[in-house]
Amino acid sequence: MTAFPASSFWVFLVLAAPASASVLALVPHAAASRWAARTGALLALLAAAALLVSSTAGRWGPYLGVDALSEVFLLMVASIYATSVWYSDGYLAAVHRPFLTPQVYYALLGAFAFAMLATLVVTDLGLMWIGIEATTVASALLVVLERRPTSVEAAWRYTLIASAGLTVALFALLLIYASTGSLDAFRLAASPPPVTRTLLMAVALALVGYGTKVGLFPMHTWLPDAHSEGPSPVSAMFSGVLLPTALYAFLRVYALVPRPVPPSIEALLLAFGLLTAVLGAFLLQRQRSFKRMFAYSSMEVMGLALVGVGIGGIALYGALLLLFAHAFAKSSAFYCAGNVLRADGTTHIDDIRDLRHRLPRTAGAWVLASSAVTGAPPFGTFVGELLIVAGAITAGLTPVALVVILAILVAFLGVNSQVGRMVFGAPSGLRPATPSGPDRGAGIAWLNVGVALVLGVVAIPYLGPALRSAAALLGGSAP
Amino acid sequence: MPVTSEVSALVGVGILLTALYLQSESFVAPLIRGIAIQSLLLAVLLGWLAWTDASPDLAILAALTIAIRALFIPAFLRRQIRAFRWRLREVHAAHRVTGHALAAVALAIIAWFVFQETLAPVFPEKGAALPFVLLVQGLLMLATRTNTLVQVIGYLEEENAIVYAGVLFASTFPLFVETVVFLDVLGVVLVGVILSIQRDVTGVPEAAGLEELSG
Repeated sequence: MTAFPASSFWVFLVLAAPASASVLALVPHAAASRWAARTGALLALLAAAALLVSSTAGRWGPYLGVDALSEVFLLMVASIYATSVWYSDGYLAAVHRPFLTPQVYYALLGAFAFAMLATLVVTDLGLMWIGIEATTVASALLVVLERRPTSVEAAWRYTLIASAGLTVALFALLLIYASTGSLDAFRLAASPPPVTRTLLMAVALALVGYGTKVGLFPMHTWLPDAHSEGPSPVSAMFSGVLLPTALYAFLRVYALVPRPVPPSIEALLLAFGLLTAVLGAFLLQRQRSFKRMFAYSSMEVMGLALVGVGIGGIALYGALLLLFAHAFAKSSAFYCAGNVLRADGTTHIDDIRDLRHRLPRTAGAWVLASSAVTGAPPFGTFVGELLIVAGAITAGLTPVALVVILAILVAFLGVNSQVGRMVFGAPSGLRPATPSGPDRGAGIAWLNVGVALVLGVVAIPYLGPALRSAAALLGGSAP
Repeated sequence: MPVTSEVSALVGVGILLTALYLQSESFVAPLIRGIAIQSLLLAVLLGWLAWTDASPDLAILAALTIAIRALFIPAFLRRQIRAFRWRLREVHAAHRVTGHALAAVALAIIAWFVFQETLAPVFPEKGAALPFVLLVQGLLMLATRTNTLVQVIGYLEEENAIVYAGVLFASTFPLFVETVVFLDVLGVVLVGVILSIQRDVTGVPEAAGLEELSG
């Protein structure tokens, strides 16, 4: 791989922008803090887009480097960071007695984004682990913003369970280092070590460890609490990009396994993926809070993505496309959820009706975003899920394809029927409907769901080739 | 048997015993003492290896282990008990400690055999399975206990397992000291920040709903 000075500038910028924004956001003046955060987020997005467009695979020094896989994830993280920062202003204004000042909030949001972006530009598995662990430190306090006892409990669970999982992942890295003498993900993937029991054990432990942060069953218990108790822009970042970033860290370990992947590892991925997808799809039916419902929907999608990775081939390409489109769709759904929460003061599905008249712009985006997150055509998520099913059938895994279809259908019916009730249902009279609400921020929700739509209907220049290269790095192929 | 191996084996047995003891206790104060002793034992091993190998990294790890996991965090947890008497005992676990202890022994045996079957050929050192057993014990504690302070102890036990594994079979692991510092920072964040916020947000400490984390 060749290093290009121009690309090194973008790599520097993608890290420096959120880091600087995080520091500058602490200025005493609230408007200056907000604009520091916005500028940092936009610069990070610009740098991530430039890296993808230049499609540069390169290394800078012993620890920094990017390839197609990291470029796709960088763009995803930077995009959702930018839209979340933009959405946050209106949301923060409506929070009664916030636990954090806006300055600290933006500083932590920047640190959170920095930790994710740093995870994606390092080549050392140990540093990746530190990056993932740093996301926990940076984001735990964001969950407590609204100062509810349940928020504190959610933050506690999140920190403790995610950290416990990550110690297992660190144990996996110790095994990898002990058996290969290196933690350089790029170098080890280029010349994979022989398949040994130690390597298989390390991959299994990494799946359990990072899987805790991805929200895989049965380590998912922190996920619905943190997503539902956190402020909506933070929930958007959790669901849209934190879970995929944790999956990325696992994929870097998975890339060390020589192809074809041993059946035991494939079976492990399929088992965890299918269980997570099916349980997520069924558990979301029982939720009374719309934010918890969307959290379980994220769990279902992460399960499907893992199945795609396990199958390989076009399914792996589908998994990456699904993750990318889902990031935009789910963030849009959470922004709408934030507007509804601000308008009605509750997340209880049964207490919310007639949004189409009261919050028309939000309601429209919410219906589309809910369709998108559940894989309705013609969104990018639909194409991703279709490729996973097609990949399973092509690989002769018809029962897997059937279970995937079951999970998709159950999740689709569950989410869309509940959102339909809230948007189109007539007021019950038990609770007087709020006549109008804050539609502020709905434009950002429309923007993100629009991207999810475009991903399904148009071949996007630069992104398509990047996704193909990213899939190829993991042994997958494009349709 | 060389002196280093003897020290390692002795400390390893001690760590294993403390791990099993922690599973069988429902009162929080003895649990805090237990984890402090376990950390101290680990620090003895680290100090011994630092001396015999003339390794400043291991000396730093030994000092960190004593400062953070044997002294600072246990002291903070003790203060929490003094401030909130309802945290003195994990109520639900009191009925189940025998089951926990038996499960812990069974899991320790299973973890030992899993290690012997999968990893022992690569890590032939005596007692190399112990960190893996300790890791599983920490996970068991986190999975089965609901008291906030006991969960912190489970987390510390996991961290001890990582440090133990690092020194036994990956002593040249890059940035290992930094990684452990990071884990310690997280431990301090856990106990220092979130527990303080808990008091600040819930107001009345006797609002014991947060003791048994459920839902």
